[in-house]
Amino acid sequence: MNTEHDLLQRTRRHFFGECGIGVGSMALANLLAGNDSAAAAEIAGSMLAPRETQFPARAKRIIFLFMAGGPSQLDLFDHKPLLNKMNGEPMPQSYLEGKRFAFMGSSHRTNLLGTRRRFSQHGDCGAWVSDLMPHTASIVDKLTFIKTCKTDLFNHAPAKLFMNTGSGQFGRPSLGSWLTYGLGSECADLPGFVVLQSGPRGPRGGSVLWGSGMLPSSYQGVPLRNKGEPILNLTTPESVSSEQQAEVFAAVRALNAQRLAATGDEEIATRISAYEMAYRMQTSAPELMDTSGESKETLDLYGIKDPGESSFARNCLLARRLVERGVRFVQLYHTNWDHHGGVTENLEQHLPAVSQEVDRPGMALIRDLEQRGLLEDTIVIWGGEFGRTPMGEVRESTGRNHHIDAFTMWFAGGGLKPGVTLGETDEFGFGPVGDSVFVRDIHATLLHQLGINHERLTVRAQGLDFRLTGVLPARVVHEIIG
Amino acid sequence: MRQFHSRFSRGIVWSTCLWFAALPGWQPQVSAEELIYNRDVRPILSENCFSCHGFDKSKREAGLGLDTQEDSVAVLESGHAAIVPGKPEESELIRRILSGDHDEVMPPAESGKHLTEAQKKTLKDWVLQGAKYDKHWAFISPSKVPAELTTNPIDHFVKARLTAESISPSPEADRITLLRRVSLDLTGLPPSLSEVDDFLESSQTDSETAYRQLVERLLQSPAYGERWGRWWLDQARYADSNGYSVDAPRQIWKYRDWVIDALNRDLPFDQFTIEQLAGDLLPDATVEQQVATGFHRNTQINQEGGIDPEQFRIDSVYDRVATTGTVWLGLSVGCAQCHDHKFDPIKQREYYQLFAFFNNQEEPNLTVYDSDIDAPSLLEERRQLEAQMQEVVRNASGRTADWEAQLTADQRKSFAKDVQKILDTNKDKRNAVQERSMYAVGPGASDEEFQSQLKRWDEVSKLLERNTTTLVMKELAKPRKTTVFIQGDFTRPSEEVNCGTPSVLPPLEDVGDSVDRLDLARWIVSPRNPLTARVIVNRIWQQYFGRGLVETENDFGLQGSTPSHPELLDWLAVDLTEKGWSLKELHRLIVLSKTYRQSSAERSDLHEKDRNNYVLARQRRLRLDAEIVRDVSLSSCGLLSRKMGGPPVFPPIPQGVMGLGQANRAWNVSEGEDRYRRGLYTFIYRATPPPSLSVFDAPDGYSTCTRRVRSNTPLQALALMNDGGFFEFATALEKLIKQEGLAAAFRRCTSRIPSDSELAVLEKLDTLSAARVLLNLDETVTRE
Repeated sequence: MNTEHDLLQRTRRHFFGECGIGVGSMALANLLAGNDSAAAAEIAGSMLAPRETQFPARAKRIIFLFMAGGPSQLDLFDHKPLLNKMNGEPMPQSYLEGKRFAFMGSSHRTNLLGTRRRFSQHGDCGAWVSDLMPHTASIVDKLTFIKTCKTDLFNHAPAKLFMNTGSGQFGRPSLGSWLTYGLGSECADLPGFVVLQSGPRGPRGGSVLWGSGMLPSSYQGVPLRNKGEPILNLTTPESVSSEQQAEVFAAVRALNAQRLAATGDEEIATRISAYEMAYRMQTSAPELMDTSGESKETLDLYGIKDPGESSFARNCLLARRLVERGVRFVQLYHTNWDHHGGVTENLEQHLPAVSQEVDRPGMALIRDLEQRGLLEDTIVIWGGEFGRTPMGEVRESTGRNHHIDAFTMWFAGGGLKPGVTLGETDEFGFGPVGDSVFVRDIHATLLHQLGINHERLTVRAQGLDFRLTGVLPARVVHEIIG
Repeated sequence: MRQFHSRFSRGIVWSTCLWFAALPGWQPQVSAEELIYNRDVRPILSENCFSCHGFDKSKREAGLGLDTQEDSVAVLESGHAAIVPGKPEESELIRRILSGDHDEVMPPAESGKHLTEAQKKTLKDWVLQGAKYDKHWAFISPSKVPAELTTNPIDHFVKARLTAESISPSPEADRITLLRRVSLDLTGLPPSLSEVDDFLESSQTDSETAYRQLVERLLQSPAYGERWGRWWLDQARYADSNGYSVDAPRQIWKYRDWVIDALNRDLPFDQFTIEQLAGDLLPDATVEQQVATGFHRNTQINQEGGIDPEQFRIDSVYDRVATTGTVWLGLSVGCAQCHDHKFDPIKQREYYQLFAFFNNQEEPNLTVYDSDIDAPSLLEERRQLEAQMQEVVRNASGRTADWEAQLTADQRKSFAKDVQKILDTNKDKRNAVQERSMYAVGPGASDEEFQSQLKRWDEVSKLLERNTTTLVMKELAKPRKTTVFIQGDFTRPSEEVNCGTPSVLPPLEDVGDSVDRLDLARWIVSPRNPLTARVIVNRIWQQYFGRGLVETENDFGLQGSTPSHPELLDWLAVDLTEKGWSLKELHRLIVLSKTYRQSSAERSDLHEKDRNNYVLARQRRLRLDAEIVRDVSLSSCGLLSRKMGGPPVFPPIPQGVMGLGQANRAWNVSEGEDRYRRGLYTFIYRATPPPSLSVFDAPDGYSTCTRRVRSNTPLQALALMNDGGFFEFATALEKLIKQEGLAAAFRRCTSRIPSDSELAVLEKLDTLSAARVLLNLDETVTRE
């Protein structure tokens, strides 16, 4: 029976057995001798404690390599020879009826644009990859490609929000928040949901992309910063010694404990355990960031020349270090993939440059996770908020517009079928042949692999049960599950 | 049976009740007594059945609707009727909920919903008793139940329920706790040390009078408007930038100041509402009334390249409809944007009738002149001066041309730069101001009357520079056409609609030829509207007790929770309108009640009976709102500036915060007292909000916030411990420790005298550490 009592017992078991969080609050709760808020105090402190899944999980954690701006699948993974043959010719009108695009009033055009990239087949699976991604090409047998991803929104900020929260509206929880809410964290010293950024600027949309929406802020993503202290306010003020800092933490704890005894308010127990985690983070986060213990071999694999310098490669290494420590959801944003054809954003120069920035580190992350036995229960995702059109844009140089009907993402690990490609696009790479894989389907599949039925992970707000996958029917993409 | 956690499959209630089934408002033991539909039956149907058998006819499974009696007794395609009143054994509904067959049982297993045995019995008994339906409670006008009120009505109704449940109330909180509580609740500021002393002293002679005088003083304090202004700004989704990805700064702080001022002068809530929703449409609208319409200009503006502006204009109208519904009506009308509402009787067509009210505006900037100049007469004077001068200049144009033609090259060079520039401009291309300048340096140089006019013009213009702009609403001369959008998709217009209100609520009154926002605003605060007063009373109540009488403060619809004290809610709602919608009266009534003044200490007996304090047998400790965490720290360390209003300020924030947005915007730290202003004056960029506020759950301004989450996280601990701003406050408090001693500093933070054991902990530390500890105490950031 799923009674309250059972829930309480199960939670207590987690609390005492596995998570290690809140040992302090347990002791403090004993101050309330004779008051049965003792159990409650322990539990209140464990909002992030690990929780059982609904059914056996194939994966425990996710690393999402978010290619912010919308990578051109037609120059990377989706090989369309006809596009080159018909370069410059108009897109057949039948494809375009009823469609809307970004920049409709200005630079949007309808003539086809071939690719300058050379495509070839790789691995045993024979996946097509262009010459921009040689390292990724070397691991295609470990990857699962979906070529018919479909999203609903074609402007950057709303589409990024959609990929993260399943909605273009602000105020919904992001994937990482849902996971830490549903599953808790397996790491007592670091947040359960961590965000890393690289590239010339922050992703459009900013902090809402890792926001917790109507879930408590305990579940929102914590950005690890590239410069200065890795977590905001992590560093003890300059004029304070580490002994003084420890004394302050101890005194806060002692006085809060006295107040807990006086009032019996279990929120104080929660605050005490929050301070304990904060104190541990002051040590654990710098340790996380200190990559000096990594071998030269490892650094070379990722292509890291200067470990102190911020880069996508370093963030990939940090992602591995984070999941090693039990962090549930790690998201890396890399800008900028928005290759419209402007002076600073074209397919000739800028697409190759950004591809090179991510190609080797992505490969390295997969191999590194695999070597350490982490890939089998870690899902790695590579993709952006949308793809790009087969038609070219007329700007200063060559580029493509935003496209939402069919774009490519790849996945690895976590019980997904390796060396598989799902879905096929039409001869121009414009729309799917057959079924689309909607963003909500991707979300449902990810939750499924982590042991959650997407229809049952809900939060009540505004009188409704909200869920990541929204109101339209979503399906688990069983074709890619091993 | 599958093992799953409570967060799987059902909604949960936050914070401390996270792990325990929440006790809904009023859950009587079901006996052979007559069941009441709204109280006993509807919550079960709404939670378990309406999503497939509810108001949205297009989504009804098997053609069955259980939301009305008419539909529930109809014979279905299967030949059965779901309900045969009085005959549970013939009712398909009862057969299916009791069925042991996996394929038949309702609700179906895959829905994740599940009826308890007690719920099944309730439904069966209800059918047996005739399956009577009632109108939803919130759609019936509130009325005051006749009651002998010898005490504060709040205490009367709360006590009635406590007595019914055999629970005793808690004693009054001690004087200092009470003083700090009511000060923080009414003004967002803790009492000063001398205020504590004064209150203790006056309490010794007559404690009741002392408390009443305290409440009056606090209600008259300008800080009242700041504290409750921020409460309203949450609902108005106020921020200082445009949002979306570009998130450029905007100027709308005049609206914020309007809110603070309106609350301080206790502008009746009906007028407060009308001015914000339609101040521009009032006859002879004042500047202030136009400023008030900034309420609905707090929507985001997307400045990203490549967008279709119409899409985002419509998004902002959607937001206005949803916000109006949530804030005033407590209804999630936004749910009817794409389809008929699944739970509440709001049709998609009616949604777009509401939409039509907000579809006819332009969105201008209004120039607001400082109050210390007489702008209307200055503007008129300037207009007259310009007309007079222009006349002179025009009449002298020939003379000016002759004068200019005779100028030598050297003479031309002798003039000031700006004059030379005009001389270099082709005569045909000069504007009126340039022509005036030519005359002034030329033939007009000796025209004394003209020169004195010009001098005055300069003075007047200089005075008129004392202005600011703010975003306001303005009705379009020619209304836009409004249609239903299929699936809420603005590229798929269908049936055209006019302004209108949902038919489940009373109709619009006294409307003339054209219906506009003003009619909507008046309808919202009409005495016949059953929702508005209840919703506002409830939302104010929530601030004082941590939860509303209706827990779902933004949903009074069929999915919302039942009031814990329905008669009290209705009494307060009716009383609010009877007392001319005075919010200060309502605040006074609440804080003077014994219910409010109870101790917040946990009680072991309540732990069993009413863990989550639904019956209000005690007060509750509440962590302070983000801005007030700042205000209390500033106040405790003596740095707080009490300057009110004006442009938002830039207190120090950690480096790199602004770089997290798409555009790395400047944050030039304010100097002087602006560094130490109350939290509600801090500039809020929506995309990169100040971390020390957002970490304590300050709303993001993206959509209306009618209840703040109160989280309790390690990042809050890091902020209070290490953030540069809080550290600066600690150094200031350290100085006070050196001057006044540890005990005084402790009192500055908590208002109370520390115990010996507490002092002992602090005395072991150096003074700076002690100051940091004090600002980090749970008690310092909590109102007890």
